[in-house]
Amino acid sequence: MIALSLLRAAVPLLGGIFTVLLVGVVQAVDVPRKTPEGFAVPQPGTRFTFPRDHGNHPDFALEWWYLTGHLFETNGARYGFQATFFRRASPRSTAPSAATQGFGDDQLYLAHMALLDAQTGEFRHQERLNRAGWDAEASLQTLDVKNGNWSLRLAPPASGSAEPTLQLEGGIRAEAAFSLTLTPAKPLVIFGTNGVSRKAAEPTAASHYLTFTRLKVAGSLTWQGKVREVTGEAWMDHEFSSSQLGAGQVGWDWASVQLRDGRELMAYRMRRQDGTTDPFSTLAWIDRQGRVQHFGPSEYSWEPRGVWKSPASGAEYPAAIRLRLKDPETGRERTLDLQPLAPAQELNGAIGGIPYWEGACRVLDEQGQEIGQAFLEMTGYAATMQGRL
Amino acid sequence: MSAAPLRSDLPGVVGLLWRRFTWRHWCLAPVQSAILVAILSLGVGVFFAIRLANRAAVASFQNFTDLITAESDGLISPAAGLLPEAVLTELRTAFGSRPVQLIPVLETTAARPRQSETEVIGSRGTFQLLGLDLIAVQNLAERRRPDRSWFDQSAAPGASATSRDTSPSPAASKFWDTFRNPRSVFISEFLARREGLSPGSELPLILNEQIVPLRVAGVIPTDPAQPQAPAELMVMDLPALQRLTGLTGQVSRIEFILEDGPQRAERWQELRALLERQATNFPGALQASSSPRWQVASPADRRESGEVMTRAFRLNLTILSLLALVVGLYLIFQALDGAVVRRREEIAILRSLGVPPRLIQRAWLCEAAVLGLAGGVVGLLLGWLGAQGAVRLVGRTVNALYYATSADRAALHSTEVILALVVSVLTSVLAGWLPAKSAAETPPAQSLGRGHGTTFIGPRLLRRTGLAWALVAVGFGLLTLPPWRLEAGLRIPVAAYAAALCWTFAAGILGGSVLKHLSRWAARPGSPLSGGAVARLALSHVREPSGRHRLAVAGLVCAVAMTAGMAILVGSFDTTMRGWISRTFQADLYVSSDGAQSASTENRISPATWRSVAAHPEVTHAQVIQAARVQLPEGETMLVGGDLEFFREFAQPAWLQEPVDNSIFVPATTAGQVLVSEAFSERFRLRRGDKLTLPTPAGGQPVTIAGVFSDYGNERGSLIVDRAHFARWFGNELASSLILVLRPGADIESVRAELRAAHPGLAVFTQSYLRGEALRIFRQTFAITYALELIGVTVAVAGLGFTMVSLLWERRGELTTLRALGLTRRELAAAAALEGLFTAVSGVAVGLLASVGLGWVLIHRVNQQTFGWTLETDRPWGQLAGLAILVLAAAAVTAWGAGRWGAQLPAEQEE
Repeated sequence: MIALSLLRAAVPLLGGIFTVLLVGVVQAVDVPRKTPEGFAVPQPGTRFTFPRDHGNHPDFALEWWYLTGHLFETNGARYGFQATFFRRASPRSTAPSAATQGFGDDQLYLAHMALLDAQTGEFRHQERLNRAGWDAEASLQTLDVKNGNWSLRLAPPASGSAEPTLQLEGGIRAEAAFSLTLTPAKPLVIFGTNGVSRKAAEPTAASHYLTFTRLKVAGSLTWQGKVREVTGEAWMDHEFSSSQLGAGQVGWDWASVQLRDGRELMAYRMRRQDGTTDPFSTLAWIDRQGRVQHFGPSEYSWEPRGVWKSPASGAEYPAAIRLRLKDPETGRERTLDLQPLAPAQELNGAIGGIPYWEGACRVLDEQGQEIGQAFLEMTGYAATMQGRL
Repeated sequence: MSAAPLRSDLPGVVGLLWRRFTWRHWCLAPVQSAILVAILSLGVGVFFAIRLANRAAVASFQNFTDLITAESDGLISPAAGLLPEAVLTELRTAFGSRPVQLIPVLETTAARPRQSETEVIGSRGTFQLLGLDLIAVQNLAERRRPDRSWFDQSAAPGASATSRDTSPSPAASKFWDTFRNPRSVFISEFLARREGLSPGSELPLILNEQIVPLRVAGVIPTDPAQPQAPAELMVMDLPALQRLTGLTGQVSRIEFILEDGPQRAERWQELRALLERQATNFPGALQASSSPRWQVASPADRRESGEVMTRAFRLNLTILSLLALVVGLYLIFQALDGAVVRRREEIAILRSLGVPPRLIQRAWLCEAAVLGLAGGVVGLLLGWLGAQGAVRLVGRTVNALYYATSADRAALHSTEVILALVVSVLTSVLAGWLPAKSAAETPPAQSLGRGHGTTFIGPRLLRRTGLAWALVAVGFGLLTLPPWRLEAGLRIPVAAYAAALCWTFAAGILGGSVLKHLSRWAARPGSPLSGGAVARLALSHVREPSGRHRLAVAGLVCAVAMTAGMAILVGSFDTTMRGWISRTFQADLYVSSDGAQSASTENRISPATWRSVAAHPEVTHAQVIQAARVQLPEGETMLVGGDLEFFREFAQPAWLQEPVDNSIFVPATTAGQVLVSEAFSERFRLRRGDKLTLPTPAGGQPVTIAGVFSDYGNERGSLIVDRAHFARWFGNELASSLILVLRPGADIESVRAELRAAHPGLAVFTQSYLRGEALRIFRQTFAITYALELIGVTVAVAGLGFTMVSLLWERRGELTTLRALGLTRRELAAAAALEGLFTAVSGVAVGLLASVGLGWVLIHRVNQQTFGWTLETDRPWGQLAGLAILVLAAAAVTAWGAGRWGAQLPAEQEE
């Protein structure tokens, strides 16, 4: 199946967000400019220009724009949403092809949309696959990516503001629609060293990784036949690379946390075939000014709490996650509980063929006080994924 | 017994009557009963078979995309030519974030290369080749789970990736290879099995005029709950098909699938309105006065188009199929009436026993209904078998005239089954109405004698010659009425059919009167027939024809008139076609794609190829013909681009309205003028000098009709413009055919062979071959009418035999007397044969006479009003004489046989 092949080739796609955070790895001596397949390799010292670098980088094999966030109505009703746009380049080929501008065959675009109604626990999601062409494309000049009727664009700054805003049009079939304006509340974070985020010992295994860790959201959500005014906060990753992860990993757990004190953190645990945690796992704090500080797997712990079994895929996911870590601001040990707003937030992989869990959580401290919100991603739990990775 | 207890127990009495009265008689004359059921079942069978075959032909016209996408909510298709791909982006922008999927489709035709040089046109099937975006269609998997995926069919087992190696996994690379191979084609499971094709097999196909070696990538995935993809369906990735057909950047239509969610119907209405608005929103270059860029259609609209296209053809066929049933109506009437006469004694007894008349009438109607039911059930069986043959004949015609169909078997359909049974029972009850009435009127004290006095008088109507002449007059009146006009320029000649019915009925009445006068004339003193005992005996019965004779004559008149009328129509058609063919095919060689195997072919000849053909040193003139279907507001028609001067010189059109001057034939002044065919003129009610706007991809083009020519190519009509305009409007020079005139003295056969060798994807026909083929295809379309006529005549002749048997039975007392008087069995048989012959002669004579009138109605009203074709009248005398001799001989033999049987009847025997 096509999308499956795409995902197979793009394993880090879903969990890729964290793979570029491995900033502690020593820089290799020589970085080749191309992979053996002819795709670009991230070069240290790359100077990003914006808005161009918010846009498409087709020289790289893989690229994604990954939005997750939390929405609230004035009456307190709460929602989680996901809007992700992926791009995957086809293998370079000189064989004759019939591709045209309208119907290309050099890039495929996959997109996932999801909505959680926290009041009822209802979860809706949809996948879409398109070839580069009239119905899916990403601009080379700025952030302007679309897939069918879904799009994410950089809009001109709102009046009286210097910051550009992002405009998201998304939805799930005709059951839900969201039209959201996202304004960066903190500066863009460029992860890695010297603009390059290394992933493994191989010099080609690296990416460029740009993140808005906190975006203010305002707009409308159409759900249950009713248009609702919503506000909230979101997180957006933009990453492009040409390499894959190494063998031996069966899946990963990942989380982005937005604390009410204005700081964020990101943590992930890479699960190896033998059940151990991969040494590339990491945790990063982003302070109020947007500065990043990294911690290795020995400096925090990731504890699954309970089990939720998906009736659709049969996969058994952790029902919640407890993070034990050190607060770099106070130096104190802390415990953060990532509590899903609803258990059923699994995307069934109708087209891609790989189910995974990606959902909105509330963040609780030791006293059970809600101190922030998070998005949790768990892959490789469905039986169908075993042996594929 | 009094009437009172009977009334209180009516059902019981009806049952008793049925058992003791009806069923017993049926059992006593099993052969007669069987013949009656057989005749009825033949009539019903023919009707049922044609209905089923028609249904199969219509059902095969479908939107193939539905098999893959599930039914879309709607679609747009251009009024002419193709839609530019840019419309996709335009519509997506116009739709904004509305959740709707756009499915662009390019649809074309293809055929397998020929196996031998001698095969005839249409012998290879036409494949429908769909170009779809094979990546995007996978999004429909959420809506509908296919039975397999598109791309992993060729993947080797165990190819799943187990490492995150940077090199693509074998499965992934297989996907990319299949997806990016511009020759990948997906075929139906049916074809794969039939031809032993599997992923990787080579499959050469003629696309346009090129033989392209396609590669089977797999089997088309379909929803397991849906019907299998038909054998003739093939699917390719859209851009690959665009490239292979030279149609890059263009699509045939765009289908729309609304995303699942509430208020689907309202959302489609909103989208439809938006699409209709957008259709008249012209980008820069086009005129604001242009006709809409596309039509919006829902699936129901589209399903209807195949039904509408062939409606006239199918209606005519259905009416023709009723012929046998109409003739059968006369027979059943006779048979039931004969039974009334035979059972008169019993009826009288029943009446004197106090059985009320209405109960007797009810018993008779019940008998008729049971007969109808029995005939209907047997007819269903016969019809279903016949339909399997008829579906091929109907399919061939539909293929040649309308669209590619592969219908090769007719499925049972409950509606048709019920309809056939209802028609059968109704026919029977209708035929039994008067006999039932006459039975009920039998007085209790009825004398039990036999002979002329007690024989059935027959419907008095059949004796009213005044009525006959009145019907003839009504017929003439009806002929002045116009046809009934339906949508899409369809015309149904209702009044003409009614006139034909009036005349047929009138002829039936007159037939009886002719029999009377003919017999009197033959029996006049001094005539050669007035001497012999046999002849006198025979004539004595028909000099004052009984109702039974009159009915037999009427049945024969009906069958002969209809059959001969059709023969006149077909003969006229044949003559006209031959004239048209010899006028139209004046050039030396005719070139088309060898993939063109049906009326709906999309196979074209690329400019490079036709230029190279036209440049052959032996070619002095080359007529390049371009053609496209265009959608006028009233319906679809054909627009042709060609050299009009060449058309005048080498196709020698017969003008119905000749252009008033030469301007349309001169390139400098031809702009804005068109020639139209008669069928077009009739259908759209436009004449010389009328103006219309032609929809084209370059916008609406106002044109004036300069002349009307006769043409028998199709009933949808066609328009011809100078090719320079056509090419400009449609933005291409793809030719549908090429007509070549060679240097005088050139060796046509060797030029043909050279062209075939240089372009194996082209079909090159000589003038004589094409003339023969055109005639063959034309005659093939009439094959089914011949079959139907033959059945009609068979029923009529069988009816005559049935009449004779009934008559002789009624006269069995007389026959005994005659035998006692010394007449031999031979002589009695001869007398019966002569009686039958006289009856037949009257029937055939009046039938033939009526056929001249019917033929005229068919040619000048039914055909002209339905198809818009003016035919030269031609009476195929040889065929008509053959028909007459056949009917007369069959009648004489049947009557003779009946006479021999009658001659040995014992004087008294029940049935």
